[in-house]
Amino acid sequence: MSARAIWKGQLLLGKHEVPVKLYSAVKDQAVHFHLLHAKDLTPVEQRIVRKDNGREVPKEAQRKALPLDDGRAVILEPDELEKLEPASDRTIHVLRFVPREALGDQWFDRPYYLGPDDDGGAYFALANALGASDRVGIARWVMRDKRYLGALSVADGYLGLTTLRRAEQVMAVPALRPDKARTPSDAEVKLAEQLIESITGAFEPEQWQNEYRERLHELIAAKAKGTKLRLVAAKPKEATGDLAESLRASLAATKGKKVA
Amino acid sequence: MPDEKLPAAAVRPFWSGTITFGLVSIPVELVAAVGSRRKSMKLVDEQGHPLGRRYWCPKDDKVLDNDELVRGYETESGKMVVITDEEFAAAAPEKSRDIELKRFVPLDAIPPFFFERPYFLAPDERAGKAYALLAQTMARSGKAGIGSFVMRGHEYLVAILADNGILRADVLRYADELRTPATIGLPKPRKADAGLVRALAKEIDALGKPALDPAEMEDLEAESLRKLAQQKAKSGKGVIAIEDLESPDDESGGSAEVIDLMEVLRKSLGAKAATARAATASSTTQPAPAGKATSTKTPAKKVAAKKVAAKKAPGKKAQARKSA
Repeated sequence: MSARAIWKGQLLLGKHEVPVKLYSAVKDQAVHFHLLHAKDLTPVEQRIVRKDNGREVPKEAQRKALPLDDGRAVILEPDELEKLEPASDRTIHVLRFVPREALGDQWFDRPYYLGPDDDGGAYFALANALGASDRVGIARWVMRDKRYLGALSVADGYLGLTTLRRAEQVMAVPALRPDKARTPSDAEVKLAEQLIESITGAFEPEQWQNEYRERLHELIAAKAKGTKLRLVAAKPKEATGDLAESLRASLAATKGKKVA
Repeated sequence: MPDEKLPAAAVRPFWSGTITFGLVSIPVELVAAVGSRRKSMKLVDEQGHPLGRRYWCPKDDKVLDNDELVRGYETESGKMVVITDEEFAAAAPEKSRDIELKRFVPLDAIPPFFFERPYFLAPDERAGKAYALLAQTMARSGKAGIGSFVMRGHEYLVAILADNGILRADVLRYADELRTPATIGLPKPRKADAGLVRALAKEIDALGKPALDPAEMEDLEAESLRKLAQQKAKSGKGVIAIEDLESPDDESGGSAEVIDLMEVLRKSLGAKAATARAATASSTTQPAPAGKATSTKTPAKKVAAKKVAAKKAPGKKAQARKSA
């Protein structure tokens, strides 16, 4: 089963042009539900209404307003917004290459694969060169009247393009140091390190199954047949009291032997 | 990561539970770690009256409250099976409360394609030392803990990692949610021309820089929108007061308890005021309630009857998560 490309263009790197197709790397696996009116199970609709009187407002009478910083907002008319749409040159512009660790997890939004749109000569040469460099490219392009920012990377010998969040969306946290009563002792940190070390392994994504999705399907099947379900509620856990004690006991459990 | 960008002042906690590793448990609250884009616009009518998205019963011809809604699954035979909130939770009782970290992995071993959405984990006041302990230990070892939890009818795989003493939960995609070059049907890699590889490697080197340029990461769309809006504001055209405005892509107008993330973190860590410059949220970014976080995907949702993923359905608590 193969997927369809959602966009075609060229990747521009210096004076080299690489013809590419863009494919979503994500596949929807969610279990989908309808929202129903509880009373008689009528499927509900979503409508846009005026907040003050609840009256429905049709699409053509809806406008968008951009808030300013001073408690006001400005209504932008559809024709004004249209004028702001960027022109598409069907080109992925690579702006720079940075070390891989320059991009933290918070930046990554949606992953895509790039595929060759010709015999693949330039495509696989670029995958080769980029794969050997330990860098990722920062790229911009316009797709369907929208600007995108992305990271060009190599996965399994193929080029990937992951859209990135914008700088103002990525929130940095200031360093907060806990007070003394909440600062763990060196001994506790050491124990925790041992505990974490004892359950450290490779990242093997196939090992993590969405069990809940399967159980949900079973539950639906059972209910459809009219089977009565037994409901079990979760018990809340207590916060850990004696930290060092819990760590030692956990270590002992993972090692299968008693720690003094 | 730019230094000046501070967390938005107000965020909505939308899941609380316990992180466990070994026998250690840490009560936490999940809050959004991604702000809304500055280009987020609010929905109004032609005169500027605030609009909102509401669930509507076509039969009774009226707006419905969230507690009048249930979720139903349509079987292949066309039968509608209703699943209650209690049943959703009961399908995985332990997971609706706990994130058990069963395995730790080197953080850089997780490929970027897996990262879906980051959240901060704010320690509950009962968390005590355990929160700081996990944060310190993971920061020192460069590791992330992997676990999963269930929220509103959906199971999330997460990597828990430490950032500056704060724990973050990154929602990961499951392996079966990712396509591969083979399933897409990309052609087999072919041998590349060595000369071309060298030439491209040179181009990569020529554009090689040690770090990101914040200017390149900015929201150009927001920039052009602001310019237009400010220009219009000067002429006085289309100016309205902000009150009760809702983004076009909000799920619904439900209001939820809003907390100040930094206040929570500082309180529960008992952190010193010396590091408290975060208290004053930057003036340029507006508060970002959790639910408004992503708005990049579907600007115009269908207003007609639509299928709703379980995870998107309204919960009893905060209207938080949009899509995962």
